[in-house]
Amino acid sequence: MKRLLGVALGVLTAIGGFVDIGDMVTNALVGARFGLSLAWATILGVLGICLYAEMSGRVAAVSGRPTFDLVRERLGPRAGLANLVASSLVTLLTFTAEIGGVALAFELATSVNYLLWVPLAGLAVWLVIWRVRFTVLENLFGLLGLALVVFGVAVWKLGPDWAGLLHQIVRPAKPAEEDWPTYFYYAVGLFGAAMTPYEVFFFSSGGIEERWTEKDLGTARANVFLGFPLGGLLSLAIAAAAMLVLMPHSIEVSTLGQVALPVAVAVGKIGVAVALLGFVAATFGAALETGLSCGYAVSQYFGWQWGKYVRPREAARFHLLVLLATITSVAVVLTTVDPITVTEYSVVFSAVALPLTYFPILVVANDPDYMGERVNGRLTNTLGTVFLGIVAIAAVAAIPLMLVTKAGQ
Amino acid sequence: MRASELLGKEVRDRDGTPVGVVTDLRCVQDGPPRGHLAALRVDALLISRAHSGTLLGYDRGRSQGPALLRAIVRRLHRGARTIDWDRVSRYDGDAVELDLSLGPVSPGD
Amino acid sequence: MTAGRTLNLNLHLLDRQVVGPDDRLVCKVDDVELEPDESGRLVVTAILVGPRALGPRLGGRLGRWTAAIADRLAADRDAGPHRIDMRVVTEIGSAVRVDRTREDLAVAPLEQWVDEHVVRRIPGSRHESE
Repeated sequence: MKRLLGVALGVLTAIGGFVDIGDMVTNALVGARFGLSLAWATILGVLGICLYAEMSGRVAAVSGRPTFDLVRERLGPRAGLANLVASSLVTLLTFTAEIGGVALAFELATSVNYLLWVPLAGLAVWLVIWRVRFTVLENLFGLLGLALVVFGVAVWKLGPDWAGLLHQIVRPAKPAEEDWPTYFYYAVGLFGAAMTPYEVFFFSSGGIEERWTEKDLGTARANVFLGFPLGGLLSLAIAAAAMLVLMPHSIEVSTLGQVALPVAVAVGKIGVAVALLGFVAATFGAALETGLSCGYAVSQYFGWQWGKYVRPREAARFHLLVLLATITSVAVVLTTVDPITVTEYSVVFSAVALPLTYFPILVVANDPDYMGERVNGRLTNTLGTVFLGIVAIAAVAAIPLMLVTKAGQ
Repeated sequence: MRASELLGKEVRDRDGTPVGVVTDLRCVQDGPPRGHLAALRVDALLISRAHSGTLLGYDRGRSQGPALLRAIVRRLHRGARTIDWDRVSRYDGDAVELDLSLGPVSPGD
Repeated sequence: MTAGRTLNLNLHLLDRQVVGPDDRLVCKVDDVELEPDESGRLVVTAILVGPRALGPRLGGRLGRWTAAIADRLAADRDAGPHRIDMRVVTEIGSAVRVDRTREDLAVAPLEQWVDEHVVRRIPGSRHESE
């Protein structure tokens, strides 16, 4: 019974923790402009992250080695360093977006300008990383993130034509007023939002923080195969809500308030309060994860002691990295760049960095020296290779599409 | 010397023909004990025409998945061969020199 | 002891994580030292650690700069990179295990510097939050 509760907790945490500022903004934006005609991209992204998170979690549980340790070991120091720089920059960009998101969420809740919240958000994020236990950090914000279920409630209350919604998902039809490059640009964005690189670093490093062994593989898999898809469903709910409320009035999403608007219309004030709680939990939780990931990646490349499972004085360089990443992110947001814009760029660049991260994981998950008998099965390998192809295409197409469509104008 | 000074170094046969670069150094744990373990002694060179680094582990003769990656890596590194260390006449110059003739590395290898 | 076992330096030893007796992470195998024995065979004598070891492996200008800067900052210029003699290695598997701690091996001066000048000054640094 206790084990079942543990698994349930893990699944719930995974659901609530799945959505971050990138998912919220991109899905709302796309829902308002394209309806559910791009839902396939979100679904594909969710499948991809399930596949690769399972692999990286299995590698961490069986071999005790986290992702970036293995990136350098497999690719060599030179290619590994290029990989590290690219992945770290993207993760730092995502961290910046999340800090901005936290500040925007507080602005929505209090009407105090977001810039005043930014340093506070940075300090709070850093303090939690510094002092709060890893399992508490994970579980608390993951569970609070379940508040975003209010978007599902909103969709239900809006009484949509369910058959019609399903039809849009399975038979996508690009809206006539949008052109194909823009359509695919946002497909890449949704993909990047669902499969952000930091998630695999964090999942594998988190597994080691929580001392996973082979016995925990069942729990890890439940988190991934139940939690992530249901979390993806929340993303789709955000898109559907935007479609139902914003699209008929041609309202485009450019602020966090507009993301919450459908909930205000469908569920009222209480719904908005719940949505705000969800926003804060999701962005704060993701800020913790990306901040930690900035430290994880560099430390694991160089072989430095990392993690919250040791005293900070034993992992001094790791904690300095997290501190520097936090200061940098706060500084960037304080330049008054629009956090929504930062978010939009972060998901596109995430898509560009994906093959770098996923390729070594696929290789290592097949290596019997690390995995023993737990190497990939043929199905996993087939799917893994197919997805590697897809992310490679998305990565190559991302920048040209961004330039051609002027970032989705 | 350091392993990095040998890895990536050009390899030439007795006639001076370049036959590839050193991609790895095979060692056997057959030396006298050094601390807890028997000493590792270099007993062969792995060379390949391709300059990209490690073969990602696909050179170990097992059928390690995924199949497509294995096929690509093998193709890039076709012509990879193992040369016994006894055949090395010199390794401290600008190239590793072998004491046998290999001729150009052919694709069929 | 695993006598007669074969391994490839690049594949099995280089860039592997070095782990201490308390399961604490020490460093990475940045390079490996080879010395000829009486019969002329090259023997793996030590693991080399740090920017002076890793720099040359990064290749090109970046590698040369890294090594040059590290040389400038080094306390003892002639000593070469930090060295972990193979006699402290107990196992070569998915990680390389050694019987000394990171502090004993003295291969991470940056960690010590950061600890002393930054982390120690922040309240709460002495206790793990786990």
